[in-house]
Amino acid sequence: MAQVVLKDVVKNYGNVYAVNHVSLTVEDGEFVALVGPSGCGKTTTLNLVAGLIPMSGGDVVIGDRIVTDLDPKDRDIAMVFQNYALYPNKTVYRNLAFPLQMRKLPKDEIDKKVQAAAKVLDITHLLERKPRELSGGQQQRVALGRALVRDPRVFLMDEPLSNLDAKLRVQMRSEIKRFHQDLHATVIYVTHDQLEAVTMADKMAVMNGGFLQQYDSPANVFANPVNMFVASFVGSPAMSLIPLAAVTRGTEVALTSPEGWELPLSPANARKALNAKSPKVVLGARHSTVKLHKSQVPGSVPGKVYTVEPTGDITFAQVFVSSAILNISLAPSVQIRPDEPVFIEFDQDKMHLFDGETEMALKAD
Amino acid sequence: MTSIPASIPAEAVRPTATRSIDWWRWGGRVFLVFLLIFTVLPMAWMLLTSIKTQFAALQYPPQWWPAEPTLQNYTRLLDPSGSIGKEFLLYFWNSFYVSLATTILGVAVAVPAAYAFSRFRFPGRTFLFFAVLLRNMFPAVVFLVPLFLLMRWLGLVNTHGSLILTYLTFGLPLSIWLLKGFFDNIPIQLEQAARIDGATRFQAFLLIVMPLSSPGIIATSIFSFIGAWNEYVYAYTFLSKQETMTLPVGIQRFFTEFATDWPGLMAATFMMSVPVVVLFLVLQKYFVRALTEGAVKH
Amino acid sequence: MSSVTGQVAYAGAPVAPKRANVFKRIFNHRNDYLYVLPALLVMLIVIAYPVYYTIELSFFKTPPNLQMKDKIFVGLDNYWAILKSDSFREVTINTAIWTVASTFFAFLLGLGAALSLHREFAGRGVMRAVLLIPYVVSAVAASYVWKWLYHSDFGVIGALAVQLGLSDKPINFLDNVHTVLPSLIVVNIWKEFSFAMIMLMAGLQTVPEQLLRAAQVDGANAWQRFWHVTFPHLKGVSMVTVLLLMVANFNSFIIPWIMTGGGPAGASDIWITQIYTIAFGRQRYGVASAYAVILFIVMMTLGYFYVKALTKGDESRAG
Repeated sequence: MAQVVLKDVVKNYGNVYAVNHVSLTVEDGEFVALVGPSGCGKTTTLNLVAGLIPMSGGDVVIGDRIVTDLDPKDRDIAMVFQNYALYPNKTVYRNLAFPLQMRKLPKDEIDKKVQAAAKVLDITHLLERKPRELSGGQQQRVALGRALVRDPRVFLMDEPLSNLDAKLRVQMRSEIKRFHQDLHATVIYVTHDQLEAVTMADKMAVMNGGFLQQYDSPANVFANPVNMFVASFVGSPAMSLIPLAAVTRGTEVALTSPEGWELPLSPANARKALNAKSPKVVLGARHSTVKLHKSQVPGSVPGKVYTVEPTGDITFAQVFVSSAILNISLAPSVQIRPDEPVFIEFDQDKMHLFDGETEMALKAD
Repeated sequence: MTSIPASIPAEAVRPTATRSIDWWRWGGRVFLVFLLIFTVLPMAWMLLTSIKTQFAALQYPPQWWPAEPTLQNYTRLLDPSGSIGKEFLLYFWNSFYVSLATTILGVAVAVPAAYAFSRFRFPGRTFLFFAVLLRNMFPAVVFLVPLFLLMRWLGLVNTHGSLILTYLTFGLPLSIWLLKGFFDNIPIQLEQAARIDGATRFQAFLLIVMPLSSPGIIATSIFSFIGAWNEYVYAYTFLSKQETMTLPVGIQRFFTEFATDWPGLMAATFMMSVPVVVLFLVLQKYFVRALTEGAVKH
Repeated sequence: MSSVTGQVAYAGAPVAPKRANVFKRIFNHRNDYLYVLPALLVMLIVIAYPVYYTIELSFFKTPPNLQMKDKIFVGLDNYWAILKSDSFREVTINTAIWTVASTFFAFLLGLGAALSLHREFAGRGVMRAVLLIPYVVSAVAASYVWKWLYHSDFGVIGALAVQLGLSDKPINFLDNVHTVLPSLIVVNIWKEFSFAMIMLMAGLQTVPEQLLRAAQVDGANAWQRFWHVTFPHLKGVSMVTVLLLMVANFNSFIIPWIMTGGGPAGASDIWITQIYTIAFGRQRYGVASAYAVILFIVMMTLGYFYVKALTKGDESRAG
């Protein structure tokens, strides 16, 4: 296994930048998720690491080699594709053997490795079948097997679970995580599902519009999103964002809404709000950090219930606050109805403030 | 489990059934019968005539069913010792040789081109692709004079080479178009996987893409073969020596030499059609797919 | 917070790109051209050169012996000669009738056949195969068979007409200026209607079953379902089919050439047979070339629509 370094990687088609100067380091044995909405450049980035498309600029380093100018076959990588890309005219056995045949391994050694990989993945009974005779989950296992049948320096996975049904996806998720732990493999994993990234990865790289937005551990990305995009992308339900304006009242700072209500800020938050380039400040709050009151309490702001979704142990409510919709989680015992006026209290320590102009998170210093 | 009892309310009425005879279905059947007669009748009459004697064929009113069926027209065509049989079998062989050579060369040229059009994004790709496709728009006759001069300059007049070269260009646009469709349908990830698994681009093509596109290659081969087998205009113009002639041209010689021998001509026509019809019937699936590929987006 | 990267940019405008040089792009893709080269080479020899040469010849008076070094430049005279000739009008009308009538009826029969065959029933595959045979056999074979069917004395069609009381004597289909063109058109339709059928059958498969069900629930009868659901889905295929039929009919040579040679008295002469007669009968290659150039122009117009109909959706496919 090896570390992977992307340095200033660029891929453009004329004026369109699919990947825009992305740099990141994947440490040896680390599981890194490239995550972002479709079209954000995450799959392109992965293909650049694999060498499947030529780079417009920058370098890729795998282990101690700069592989920028090497063919995929010489990069010593393995890849699992979204549609599995199993060779339809070959049996499972020959699918697993193919990478070894291409490397001209002796027949008995190929057989040994294929059998070993099949055993690990519990697909020994499928070896003589053709891919189309397998279920989605079985195809997924074969694809995984073809990747780990030889010891590559890096595993690249391109949305490997998105073609599976919900139940299988959860199961395969833990299995892939297990492989990673057992093999101490370096894995770069592309997904559009932030939940997959959060649950599986050591670090997640959030991408949007070809740019790397934030690269950090899931916990840190969740707790300290660097901008509004990351804030709204990571977490489910998404962080609610309410555009407001900052005003100074003597020594105090408050956020005001166009409707006229004011939300006084704590000293720490006030310093953040004052760092904004303009008075436009966006308030971000996760569903679990806000409280709902039926009557006004100090520091609460008015809202109106839009929908109520009981899920059994938690009830999710969507509440109109100013021009935005706020997600709130409630105990199932709380009884509210749509269109009911309510009051919302924010946790000053857990709220996020973003610059309304630059969309970046505001810092206190 | 509890079951909720269901009962039909007392006030419910049952309206008279509105399902009626499906006139459309019956109309379709009648139409199909008509089409079938229209299609089969000429072929049937060809066969019936071919087993008549010359005397029986030229009667009015016609013998609807041959009074004395005979296979003499066929044995005459297939008998290598007779002059007619020798000639017919020679034309048959020439047609076969030219068609086969056209098919093989056509596939060899079309496969890489179609692959490039499907997979690569090189400058001028679209322009070149449609320049190739536009070949279908030009009638053979338009090219006859310059091609005849060209073939004379190349010293290919009265050779099968002239036909093979020309037929190649007939088949190419369609073959490239069809094969491109097949290559488009093979997920690019398969090749990517192969390249990551250690194959070169060419190995990925040879070991993964080629086996998967064999239906497309079969389909284009049938098309090239049938097209070359049936071609008339160039063969009629380029070949004047009897020993190089192909069937569609040669058959005309029978007709002029034995001007009134309709049963013989029908037998020859039948023999000429057998290879393509058999090829079509055996590989019908591919033929139909080839015909419609590209025009219909699935 | 050291792991937050410094390059965070949200919705930032991309850096102004350097316009990639065309020659550089061609150079970068130089290997790709190797794949296309053999095909292009063949096409160049057998198409580009003849097109060029045809255009050149159309401005020359040419000797009948094909010794082209003796040709004389005459400018546009060949074109004027064609446009002013008496036969041009008649031949053009014949061509139009031949093309439009063949296309129209072949398409109509094909559409009917496709709709009737769309429903699953026993023997459907056999039926489709039988209907396709005329399309597969050579036009030469079809021409001889139909020539025999139309035979003025012993033809089976004339005899059937007498039997059924439609006529009191065998009909002379091909030697009559009024019946010759329609008779040939029937042969042409026989030969090619199943092409339209097979295209439209493929098209029918793309009509979503759910939409038809929805229309049925909404109260549409069979005709309304066809007109509002099925037919709009067939538009694309129909366009391509009609265009391909038009092109094929416009270019057809074998049926009129073998069956009548354009006769009697030019009543079945169309552009293509006329060009062949001028070139190889009267040995006036210059005039024939000018005729061909006029035909090019018509074909290119049709070709434009053909390519347009074909490319719908091609570019959206990711490569």
